[in-house]
Amino acid sequence: MVIWAWLIPLIIVVLIALIFIYYYNRFVVQGNRIDNALSQIDVQLKRRVDLIPNLIETVKGYAKHEKEIMSDVTNARKALLAAKDLKSKVKADNQLESALKSIFALAENYPQLRANENFKQLQEELSATEDKIAYSRQYYNDTILDFNNSIKVFPGKVFAGLYKVKARPFVEIAPEERKLVKVKF
Amino acid sequence: MEKSNRIMFYDQISRNKRNSIFLIIAIFIILILLGFVIGYALGPDYFTIVMILAIIISLAYIWTGYYYSDKIALASVKAKPADRTHHRSLYNAVESMSLASGLPMPKVYIMEDPQINAFATGRDPKNAVICVTTGALEKLNKDELEGIIAHEMSHIANFDIRFMTIVVVLVGMISIISEIFLRSLWFSGGRGDSRDGRAQIVFILIGVALAILAPIVTMLVQLAISRKREYTADATAVKFTRRPTGLINALKKIQHDHPMKNHKISKSVAPLFLSDPFKKKVQNVFSTHPQIEKRIAVLEKM
Repeated sequence: MVIWAWLIPLIIVVLIALIFIYYYNRFVVQGNRIDNALSQIDVQLKRRVDLIPNLIETVKGYAKHEKEIMSDVTNARKALLAAKDLKSKVKADNQLESALKSIFALAENYPQLRANENFKQLQEELSATEDKIAYSRQYYNDTILDFNNSIKVFPGKVFAGLYKVKARPFVEIAPEERKLVKVKF
Repeated sequence: MEKSNRIMFYDQISRNKRNSIFLIIAIFIILILLGFVIGYALGPDYFTIVMILAIIISLAYIWTGYYYSDKIALASVKAKPADRTHHRSLYNAVESMSLASGLPMPKVYIMEDPQINAFATGRDPKNAVICVTTGALEKLNKDELEGIIAHEMSHIANFDIRFMTIVVVLVGMISIISEIFLRSLWFSGGRGDSRDGRAQIVFILIGVALAILAPIVTMLVQLAISRKREYTADATAVKFTRRPTGLINALKKIQHDHPMKNHKISKSVAPLFLSDPFKKKVQNVFSTHPQIEKRIAVLEKM
């Protein structure tokens, strides 16, 4: 009898502690997953940024007069490098994306450039990087969805309040990214 | 919707992990029993040593099967590591899907075969391999390739690879060994030497044990490989690519493809593949893959 009087409250206390630990760890793990997903986006953005000087060099060799488009790309690249938070990064990346599209559209007028092995490779690599940026953003949003679900659904909501965990914003995919970019000649 | 999706996902993972453990224990028991039969037949002088050997051998067998199953599976289809510069589009597709799924980048292998097919193997997402046929690289476009890679990535995410590879390698090896053993018994059965009559009896006993065991083992493999797994992987693949068209088109191309040219591919590796390499027309309880038509129909409803 005496043992039971001790044991039952003890079990209850341990169970409650375990629930607290479970939710704490869950938020930490999911938060880390978001941070990791974010760093993956950065890796892909960095790759794109690194590919651009090479592209500019190659294009310069064939289309010297297209200074405007070239400077557009360079500026967008600089903006992306300077961007600190995800929102401005996404914005700069969208600009870079449309500038790149004009370069590839421009290549249509320069058959020699189009035939250049290096250019073809860069084009392929840049479009693959574009896909990867899209996929890594998608995963980033997936991790945020999981996180937000677990802090908004009862009883996670209660613990989120206790641990002061807040919902995180999704990355918006800019509408212009879905549209085809108009190219001026 | 999203919630139930994830529950389904975690269910599948824990079921695969649990089944893997059960299977390993079952194989261990079977091997020990086999040792017991041999030891018993040889007589009490040898019993202890045979049992010790049986334990050592079965542990080594399971250890090898668990840690080297991916390499065994890859070697059995003669797959080679893909070269990053030569197969850039393949690497891009795998890398994209690894980003979309949030899983680590798997190793990429290629096997020579004109048929469009692929499989994933390994023991967990950190030690995973995706292998694609040369036919798939030639015949599929970027979206379709991404579709089948996403399907394989789902097998990795769901831990299907662990269970499937253990089934294929550990159980598959038992049935291969027993087949070889039974055949050798058949051929050597005629000439009996009175001197090693006891050894003869032992071999016959093993033979009988294996003859009973082999079909049971094969049944086990067939039962273990549920076709539901393929539907789940298709559904998860769509979650990764966000559009089913790539996988649908790839499956449609597979539908009109030829059966595998490479007949050396053991039947036991077949369950690992994206679609049945032998392309059996009739579907029955023991089919390892659902019919492609049905998979396409399910995907088109998404």
